[in-house]
Amino acid sequence: MPRRNDIHKILLIGSGPIVIGQACEFDYSGTQACKALRDEGFEVILVNSNPATIMTDPETADRTYIEPLTPEIVEKIIEREHPDALLPTMGGQTALNLAVSLAKNGALERHGVELIGAKLPAIEMAEDRKLFKEAMERIGVGVCPSGLATTMTEAKQIAHEIGNYPLIIRPAFTMGGTGGGIAYNQEEFEEISQSGLDASPVSQILIEKSLLGWKEYELEVMRDLADNVVIICSIENIDPMGIHTGDSITVAPAQTLTDKEYQRLRDAAIKIIREIGVETGGSNVQFAVNPETGEMIVIEMNPRVSRSSALASKATGFPIAKWRQNWQWATRSMKFPTTSPKKHPLVLNPPSITLSLKFRALPLKNSPVRSPR
Amino acid sequence: MKSVGEAMAIGRTFQESFQKALRSLETGRAGWGCDRSEKLPSLEQIRGGLRIPNPDRIFTVRHAMQMGMTVEEVYELTAIDPWFLDKLAELLETERFLKKTPLKSLNREQLYAVKQQGFSDRQIAYATKTTEDEVRAYRKSLGILPTYKTVDTCAAEFEALTPYYYSTYESEVLELSQGEAAVAKVETEILPSEKRKVMILGGGPNRIGQGIEFDYCCCHASYALRADGFETIMVNSNPETVSTDYDTSDRLYFEPLTKEDVLNILEAEHPEGVIIQFGGQTPLKLAVPLQTYLNQNPDVTTKIWGTSPDSIDTAEDRERFEKILRELEIRQPANGLARSFEEALQVAKRIDYPVVVRPSYVLGGRAMEIVYSDQDLDRYMKFAVLVEPDHPILIDKYLENAIEVDVDAIADADGNVVIGGIMEHIEQAGIHSGDSACSIPTISLSASVLDTIRTWTTKLAKALKVIGLMNIQYAVQGEQVYILEANPRASRTVPFVSKAIGVPLAKMAVRIMSGMTLADLNYTSEVIPKHVSVKEAVLPFAKFPGTDIILGPEMRSTGEVMGIDTDFGKAFAKAELAASQHLPLKGMVFVSMNDRDKVAAVPVVKDLIELGLTVVATSGTRQTLMEHGVESVELVLKLHEGRPHVLDWIKNEQIQLIINTPIGATAQIDDRLIRRTALAYKIPIVTTIAGARATAAAIRSLQSQQLQVKSIQEYM
Repeated sequence: MPRRNDIHKILLIGSGPIVIGQACEFDYSGTQACKALRDEGFEVILVNSNPATIMTDPETADRTYIEPLTPEIVEKIIEREHPDALLPTMGGQTALNLAVSLAKNGALERHGVELIGAKLPAIEMAEDRKLFKEAMERIGVGVCPSGLATTMTEAKQIAHEIGNYPLIIRPAFTMGGTGGGIAYNQEEFEEISQSGLDASPVSQILIEKSLLGWKEYELEVMRDLADNVVIICSIENIDPMGIHTGDSITVAPAQTLTDKEYQRLRDAAIKIIREIGVETGGSNVQFAVNPETGEMIVIEMNPRVSRSSALASKATGFPIAKWRQNWQWATRSMKFPTTSPKKHPLVLNPPSITLSLKFRALPLKNSPVRSPR
Repeated sequence: MKSVGEAMAIGRTFQESFQKALRSLETGRAGWGCDRSEKLPSLEQIRGGLRIPNPDRIFTVRHAMQMGMTVEEVYELTAIDPWFLDKLAELLETERFLKKTPLKSLNREQLYAVKQQGFSDRQIAYATKTTEDEVRAYRKSLGILPTYKTVDTCAAEFEALTPYYYSTYESEVLELSQGEAAVAKVETEILPSEKRKVMILGGGPNRIGQGIEFDYCCCHASYALRADGFETIMVNSNPETVSTDYDTSDRLYFEPLTKEDVLNILEAEHPEGVIIQFGGQTPLKLAVPLQTYLNQNPDVTTKIWGTSPDSIDTAEDRERFEKILRELEIRQPANGLARSFEEALQVAKRIDYPVVVRPSYVLGGRAMEIVYSDQDLDRYMKFAVLVEPDHPILIDKYLENAIEVDVDAIADADGNVVIGGIMEHIEQAGIHSGDSACSIPTISLSASVLDTIRTWTTKLAKALKVIGLMNIQYAVQGEQVYILEANPRASRTVPFVSKAIGVPLAKMAVRIMSGMTLADLNYTSEVIPKHVSVKEAVLPFAKFPGTDIILGPEMRSTGEVMGIDTDFGKAFAKAELAASQHLPLKGMVFVSMNDRDKVAAVPVVKDLIELGLTVVATSGTRQTLMEHGVESVELVLKLHEGRPHVLDWIKNEQIQLIINTPIGATAQIDDRLIRRTALAYKIPIVTTIAGARATAAAIRSLQSQQLQVKSIQEYM
């Protein structure tokens, strides 16, 4: 299929410094995207503040800005470079948040820059808890009893409606759950809600029923413009709900799902990526399954390459094709390189069991680390 | 989420992958226990540990099972799927079997089965009361070797030729043990090669002090060697890195970085060289075991490339290192060794407080402290460290208000040395270099000081016979230069320096290790750029409610950012901005200093007032400022002095910048609360005088002109 000829210059945003919740897993995808886009004849402008990345090596992009990742600075780069498009899905939550700010403050429109890879409505539908919940209701995928609050009064009201503790508090638009946690009583609830409201750039928190004890799964899903969807990998958290996915021991592929249960997760994941409208590229969908009743609930969906994508890639050995398609999908409409002539999803089941153990940050001195949230 | 890193392992069974992943974690474990004597907690503690999710829970599960809890009971408490728990219970059964079976009476079939469950040689050694080497020798004598499988990147749809390997113990055992052929037929999937092979050992999981800077160096080593026609073999266990992407190297082994696993690969691949100096502490720990192995097996032609393990050891061995320094007439801070509190007191008396104390057996600044008095020292010796005759405490004179300098240099086998970059730290000596901001080129060092640094660096590189990279840390007090430490290996500053000077240092270094000279590479003189580059550390404090945020000798940062501009102020401002510290251009600065810093703060405060900021201070600091002619400082009450106090000011967003230096090693509660609140309200906070000076310079630059952007290609 033809390459988009209306785009010549692409700005790519990196993920910035390594912080807890966002490591270097986006360096490779970004580097590959740069290389591939340049091979296709696009001019690539890169911005990232982290010097310890391969992508900021001077030969990776046409021009490399080692500059702070703030909307003001990135707009200056846009003013200077006049890119036609912005690719925000290669730099984790940092890049996505930055792209959203630039879209919302009108900078992209002012300078005639198109978002490619993920459009604003899709990003918002996946990231905004309310929109996400509504979307899930539309397709009949269960979500956790929950409510959104922007003030403490609202938060208390929701807690009252859900009825009983523990409750989970998740701030919107934050990385790795900063400012969130589990509350077992009212006092704790108020404390965590406040810190969640503070941590969220839009002062919004989601309060949900605790799914402690439910089993947690993740599916890595990709979709192309021809509406093919593949499940790249299933990941099972050995620790049940209650430990942040990033802190849990995980196994790929999932080990304890029956075929039927797995099919249900797959079907749901496919419906979700279509409903959210991630046209091209990969997403990560997290599910919780009640071990007693088999009830399934979707927890969240990331419309971008995520921490787990890196893991899934390494576990299945899928990355190259995946990333290459990822950027290609952004600039052309192209089908999956399926070996089958029939147009059906190509499902890769990794033949080997891989196990990833993520371990915690070394607790800082003088600071007994609190029980995990 | 609180993890800073992760390890992944690949195997054929859950048990194998699980144990491999555990020994990849660099937490000292050789697998799921069975590697050291364990003190079992009480049943009550275990129940709590199982019920409340926590990172050590997987070992609590082990303790529970050891104490006889059934899979059902553990499931009730943890909600971990019984399938997993069953597999773990099996591991414990195997362990019990091993513990009552002498090594030599394990037959081939049994040992094979044990290896298939992922037990490491070290675990088997512990269980059978033998040594790892004995287990290895016995295992090999039975023909039990790992086979290497490719990760099937094509889902068995068509043949995968990707050289992406993992080890496993295959199950052809039965057939073999019944048949007449005693030689194991190992079905390896390793592709043969005619090229010269080099193995690069990666850095393992990320943790504080061991970040992606080292992975960057490993990747560059691979890129350069591949470009030169070598076949590169990468060994690493960290799924987040670029080095574990299978097209970074010709071959990738997704394996734990332990002696057993690395030697297995070495014996399967027979590389010409092994590179251990790029991956940080993880591969360096393997230097001595690897060299010992090579010495014991003269038929193995593999060599460790670059600086010899002995030289690396010299730099880390206090006595040998001091001997070299004396010969070269390189100055060190006064220091001593103590094996008891009395000895420590004597040393402290001789060299005078403040002193830096640290245990001799840990690296990376852990448990390192600056101590100001006998009383402080007593507390440190009693509570902070374990003092034993075998584990003395190292005591160095703390050079107050000294400037710390980091140097990265490259040396070749002919003894030529080129300085890569001299970095001047913003925070004073005593703050871990990984947490400190730094600048290239230097900003305040005199020509004679720089001259001394260059001369000493060159002399030391030659004396240590460095081939490749070397990093040296100096402290400069006035015009006096002192050496703090030298590490003949890649440092975490290599990517920053490379980008600041426009020379890929890691690539240069690896080519030198492959036998080229600096002259061959046309890299013979130090590059001093015209623009200024500042590196700043990114700290994870926001993730740890309740921790204090002061900087000290123990490293705490997780990542780094870089700011580049035409002058220091702007470059520093950019670095701060990139690290999410938004410096104010106007508004109110709150200053509260400890007694040692009060006078030093005067010029900075004057500067800030000149820049149009209002300054408020606590009584003591304000008193000193007034005594030195700074009149226009409003008083802010401390927490116990009534209200509204400083926290009220912060919470009401009256304060835009905080300069607060800590009191002693343990900051007082007031100070801690101030810093925590500042963090919560996202108010930039500076905890050192030097940092305050740099901040003032940055504000000055920001006021004069808006920040502009420029690509690195344009700077070069």
